[in-house]
Amino acid sequence: MQDKSTSDTDRSEDIAFGSNSIRLSGWEWIAVAVIFLSFFSFGPALWGRLGEIKSGPDYRLPYRLGGDYWLYSRLCRRACSQYETVLLGDSVIWGHYVPRDGTLSHFLNENAGRDQFATLGVDGFHPAALWGLVRFYGQDIANKKVILHLNPLWMSGEKQDLQTEKEFRFQHPRLVPQFRPRIPCYKESWSERMSIAVGRRVGFLDWTSHLRIAYFENMDFPAWTIEYPYENPLNEVTGGLATTEEDDPRDRRSWIERQTAKQDLRWVELETSLQWKLFRQTLELLQERGNTVFVLVGPFNEHMLQAASADVYGRMKKAIEAWLRENSIPYFVPDALPSEFYSDASHPLAEGYALLAQQLFENESFRANILGD
Amino acid sequence: MYFHTLPFLIFFLIVYPAYLAVKGTKLRLPVLLAASYIFYAWLNPLYLVLIGYSTALDYWVVTRMAKSPRRKSWLAVSIANNLGLLGFFKYGAFVTENLNLLLSSLNVPYEVPSRTINEILLPAGLSFYIFQSLSYTIDYYRGNVERETSLIRYATFVALFPRLLAGPIERAKNLLPQLHKVPKVCTEDITDGLSMFVVGLFKKIALADYLALYVNKVYAAPDQFQSPALILATFLFAWQIYFDFSGYTDMARGIARMMGFRLMLNFNNPYLAASLGEFWSRWHISLSTWFKDYLYIPLGGNRKGTFNTYRNMFLVMVISGLWHGAAWTFVIWGALHALGRFLTRELERTTYYKERVPKLAKQLFVFAFATFAWIFFRAESIGDAGVIVTRIFSSGWADPRCPVLALALVFAVWLYQYTHESKIKWVLELKPVRVGLVVAMILYLAVFAPSSNQEFIYLQF
Repeated sequence: MQDKSTSDTDRSEDIAFGSNSIRLSGWEWIAVAVIFLSFFSFGPALWGRLGEIKSGPDYRLPYRLGGDYWLYSRLCRRACSQYETVLLGDSVIWGHYVPRDGTLSHFLNENAGRDQFATLGVDGFHPAALWGLVRFYGQDIANKKVILHLNPLWMSGEKQDLQTEKEFRFQHPRLVPQFRPRIPCYKESWSERMSIAVGRRVGFLDWTSHLRIAYFENMDFPAWTIEYPYENPLNEVTGGLATTEEDDPRDRRSWIERQTAKQDLRWVELETSLQWKLFRQTLELLQERGNTVFVLVGPFNEHMLQAASADVYGRMKKAIEAWLRENSIPYFVPDALPSEFYSDASHPLAEGYALLAQQLFENESFRANILGD
Repeated sequence: MYFHTLPFLIFFLIVYPAYLAVKGTKLRLPVLLAASYIFYAWLNPLYLVLIGYSTALDYWVVTRMAKSPRRKSWLAVSIANNLGLLGFFKYGAFVTENLNLLLSSLNVPYEVPSRTINEILLPAGLSFYIFQSLSYTIDYYRGNVERETSLIRYATFVALFPRLLAGPIERAKNLLPQLHKVPKVCTEDITDGLSMFVVGLFKKIALADYLALYVNKVYAAPDQFQSPALILATFLFAWQIYFDFSGYTDMARGIARMMGFRLMLNFNNPYLAASLGEFWSRWHISLSTWFKDYLYIPLGGNRKGTFNTYRNMFLVMVISGLWHGAAWTFVIWGALHALGRFLTRELERTTYYKERVPKLAKQLFVFAFATFAWIFFRAESIGDAGVIVTRIFSSGWADPRCPVLALALVFAVWLYQYTHESKIKWVLELKPVRVGLVVAMILYLAVFAPSSNQEFIYLQF
């Protein structure tokens, strides 16, 4: 009787589940958890070992992979283990209009006569994004010498300073503070912000983003198969990462040759600037990690500014300098480079970077804090 | 709040331990009700007004019914109120739109004001909890259930969060007694609940949302695609809607199971049905049986001759179509199923069909018919449905560019279900197979799951 009743129960349970469940016992669930957690913990690291980054003294993260923070953190680890000094910043440090042997880090190494400097700048890393990058993906930047670049362009208007109430899509929203300080133009839903805040602390999720960005044209795998229905995804994965050679610019003209008009930029007040606030937070974070931080401000293309705008910029530059001095932070606020050395408002051409590197090597504070003279 | 989102995960991680801690105390029902209302209000706090009103009214009606000799009148109040709510929120715009069309075609210089009605929000899950609440008042009237004396318990029955948004539409007879007892939650409940949840999550994210990418592309502009793409998109939609809805149900049942509640089976391999009648006993079972118990049988069922049987079937199918949405496409979908039932019912009675036609051929026929009917369910308008049907039979044979992976995944699921109902079901019960499948599903979800959060199709109903 007991058997019959048990088998009846089993049958009714079976009916209750249909094929909608793959029933596992407690021990089987533990086995599943162990397998998954092993993959979760070691999968990304193993993947990293299988595919080495082809780095070198002038290596910079390929432009197309600028949103691949998992790859960035690997590059960061490698750079920090091989070089004494790293350069942090946006496309001015990355070298938007120059080839890899035309960047600031390249000319600094040339001046040093050895490979001392590595670029960790990436396109579009405005200060609010740089804060997130350093905090969540740049943990290896500790006890190093760091050249932290401040591009004043990010304070050249309410929009650049992320202060407009109207929503607009800015670069690297996943890196900015999700809750505090409040970013007025960032209107993501609360649940999405929460997902981002949790996600950037989970390396596995960054690795899955890496797969998407690096191999599937920044598409989800399912979306990629819709776009390329008959392609073999394994070919994409084994094809390797994008190379930095792809990024060599075709247009290397100066802003004068481009016939760009002079600008009347509406600089924000330094006291209320969100980007400046987050820049200072990044600086503090780097110092807390035992780094020697040297701040490089600009050099902005002041030739491109209309007189009134240039006056305001001049005052802002002085205020930045005063704050750095008051807080005993080594810095260099160079004068504008010759006009023909700029390709736009903030990006120097290779000649500009060469000159800037030379100026840095002549700067006393740079020599004392970075070169160790 | 949707099951496959991070807010739900956080919500459940807070609610579940709290529920387990208080489930043996008087706080069990208040905690469950509060959690359910928070879950619902997450979508829109205004929804609480409507569910609160509907719950309170049905509770009061049954209380009055218990004391009054005019039981039928009180039942009528409940039915009128529930159907009135459904009619106003769900069908208001549809009715005014069609009324205005009619008036205009009759050259009557009057237009029913429709702007306000169009702007009224359709509360998520309305059709589901209205039907559940209605089943209680009808069952009480029939003497099938006891009167529920606790308003909190009754409100929890209506709003229990795992099943609130898209069912299953539970009967008072099944769920209310479970709310009376202190639920026992053993290890098996947790492991089984987890199993159902993982399968449901996989169906929703890895399958339904994936197939939707192709289906949405084709159905958004059917005149730009040729026969193979339209056939494949319709075929994939048949599976998309199954994965989407049954995935939701699996997750709902899994969560409820972890809390010690048994919700009814809602999908049972519907695409393996060998007749349309059987299809409806495997598809959205809680709704099919609701219509059977509260509409088909009261209308006379199949007891009053062939004509009346077919009339009843037709009415039930058309109303079932309308339940899904306020549009003529849903009415046609229901009518098509009714027509299919008439024809196949007669066919199935022939000896030749019963004995000579292989089961697989019957299954394929039912699937093909159901898939064809889905065209009307999915199309944006009757015009679009017409374009799709016409182009399936008359356009060219251009490359459909349908991902091989999507077809492979659908085939794998079909094979799994087919095996599940065959004599070699034991293969699926082998430990390495079960563990391997669950690991594969979780890894696929973790690595390849799309980051977009698409809503469940059935939530709009």
